[in-house]
Amino acid sequence: MLVLRVTHLDSFESILTLSNADISRITGLSLAEVQTLKTKVAENVVDITPITALDLHQGRGGDLMQIRKLSTGCAKLDEALRGGILSRGITEISGESASGKTQFCLQLALTVQLPQANGGLQGGVAYICTEDAFPSKRLHQMTQGFMKVHRQTLGSDYRPGDKIFIEHVADYDMLMTCVNQRLPLLLASTCVRLIIVDSVTAVFRGEYAGHELYKRSKHLSSLVTQLLALGSQHNIPVVCINQVSSSMNETGRQLIPALGLAWSNMIMTRIMLSRTNQTITLNDSGVDGRTEATIRQLEVIFAPHLTNVTVLYVIDRDGIKGIT
Amino acid sequence: MMDTQRELCTFPLAPNHKLKLSAAGFQTIQDLKGIKPAELCKDTGLSLDDSEGVLNTVNVAEKMHWKSGGRCGLSALDMLHEEQSLPGIITFSERVDRMLGAGVPLCKVTELCGEPGVGKTQFCLQLAVGVQIPEVFGGLHGEAVYIDTEGSFITERLVDIIAATVRHCEHISQKEHNEEFVEHLKSLTVEHLLTGIHYHRCHDYIQLLAIVHLLPAFLKNHPKVKLVVIDSLAAPFQHDFEDFSLRTRILTSVAQNLVKMAAEFKISVVLTNKMTTKLNSSGGDSGAHLVPALGESWGHACTVRVILHWEGNQRMAWLYKSPSQTETTVPYQITTGGIRDIIMEERYQAENAEDETPVKQQKLS
Repeated sequence: MLVLRVTHLDSFESILTLSNADISRITGLSLAEVQTLKTKVAENVVDITPITALDLHQGRGGDLMQIRKLSTGCAKLDEALRGGILSRGITEISGESASGKTQFCLQLALTVQLPQANGGLQGGVAYICTEDAFPSKRLHQMTQGFMKVHRQTLGSDYRPGDKIFIEHVADYDMLMTCVNQRLPLLLASTCVRLIIVDSVTAVFRGEYAGHELYKRSKHLSSLVTQLLALGSQHNIPVVCINQVSSSMNETGRQLIPALGLAWSNMIMTRIMLSRTNQTITLNDSGVDGRTEATIRQLEVIFAPHLTNVTVLYVIDRDGIKGIT
Repeated sequence: MMDTQRELCTFPLAPNHKLKLSAAGFQTIQDLKGIKPAELCKDTGLSLDDSEGVLNTVNVAEKMHWKSGGRCGLSALDMLHEEQSLPGIITFSERVDRMLGAGVPLCKVTELCGEPGVGKTQFCLQLAVGVQIPEVFGGLHGEAVYIDTEGSFITERLVDIIAATVRHCEHISQKEHNEEFVEHLKSLTVEHLLTGIHYHRCHDYIQLLAIVHLLPAFLKNHPKVKLVVIDSLAAPFQHDFEDFSLRTRILTSVAQNLVKMAAEFKISVVLTNKMTTKLNSSGGDSGAHLVPALGESWGHACTVRVILHWEGNQRMAWLYKSPSQTETTVPYQITTGGIRDIIMEERYQAENAEDETPVKQQKLS
């Protein structure tokens, strides 16, 4: 041990990143001794024995290994998503403006508060706004519908709004302060079980000039690293809203999620929302008394647990609903 | 018979030992014959431990030499035979298997690169199941170690693939009416196949290095393991890695360890990598194109490199680098049951309609 302290090899990192020959040269230990040292260090860093996929599947892998699923609040959508949003990696919701991205997230902010038996995670939500002001009026409207359905489970004096923590940020620096300092504190002190960033695009689209793409992807990676760390530490879902940009190709105009490959490489699930040309008549439950609603489409572009699926849905007074 | 004239300086001994041996007049094996460590110690001035070490090294080397019939190493022909006799891990896409020779090769490190959503993780899951198929059905009857750095290992999806694989084997045994097949089918259950996958969750590159370091000991205790998957190798090195020379150094040493393990334990190592945009310095017509991530020097590390990409709405696998196969591109699809060929014949589709429903494909940015 003394040798290690003298030669400044005092972290697990420094020992594991150096080759055996290098450590041997620096410390004067024999190669066999270095091998033993490395093995001891490695055993301290990870569990020695892996778990089998069967244990994992049957939930015997411990709380952090267990994948949680957050219901969307609609049985049809949940069925298409095999239970909902995963507590793994980042789930991106992308789509053109007015396709229902924020509505989707508001609904998640409500369902996350339900008990696990009802598809929720029994916790609050950290909602980071980077675009407009938080749509509190709309949330209030959705809350009423939500409480009508779930008054029995949650109790009649339950106020979902108390569990929604909203933070407005305007630029990258504010966003990083928020996720690096304020968010860990919030997660440690309260029972927050969902992180929403609405939207990740607003911060990264405008501020960078054409030649600053490298800087942008570095900043994106810093944000993602921190979000992923928080998500996996607490085993909670992280949802990011992304805008779309149009790209021209042989087949005509196509909408693709913004922020390019650097971003796409770092997310785990990509869900795309869009509007169709059809409308449907609702029975007096439309937003602001309107009875016509546009039929919208939810499409899973990629996800580790799903093959690509498409479902149609509408937005009414209470939120989003899948239709057949 | 024994080659007693072999010179001592050709043995893997420490230079100072060689020097002392030759100074004391020991030149060939003949000179060391029948000599005891204590005598050698007195004659050469080596310590007793060292003398014993020298004699051991020489004896062991001689024995190996003797066993291999007096030949040093293997001839290229022997190696060809050995390689041809080694089966590969099937992907359930015949065309991809043929492109790779006979599935994903053992004793080699194979890298799968591709854009998000093209099917890298699906390939890994498919292989982790494929490696476990019993020999009578044309598999390896092995097990797999799965190192997950992204959290994308979802057992639900794995169960889909396993269920399709079990069904596939049931089809075979029904067609063949073979007692042996029926016997093997009994042990081929979803639970059994899930048990054959050893899962590691890994959050950063330090953990990855630790796991790779401990892997040889695990493989020694689990000789059935025939496949090690790292999905993905790129993720721990992509986030917040400032020091690129450190990254290259670590990656090279990981690659060395994996190549060594693949050869020593006769296993297949499969890694996944991401794609990144490379700007053409010449500013040519396209301006930018996609290349595998982790840098130029990493490209040399893996023996086999497959790039998965989209061509219109079609998933394609492109064998980019291989020591034995020619460069080819073949189409494949991902169904609920896993990786499959694209089959045009209606008859076959009708037969398999239940579990082979093709999934809509989508082009990405």
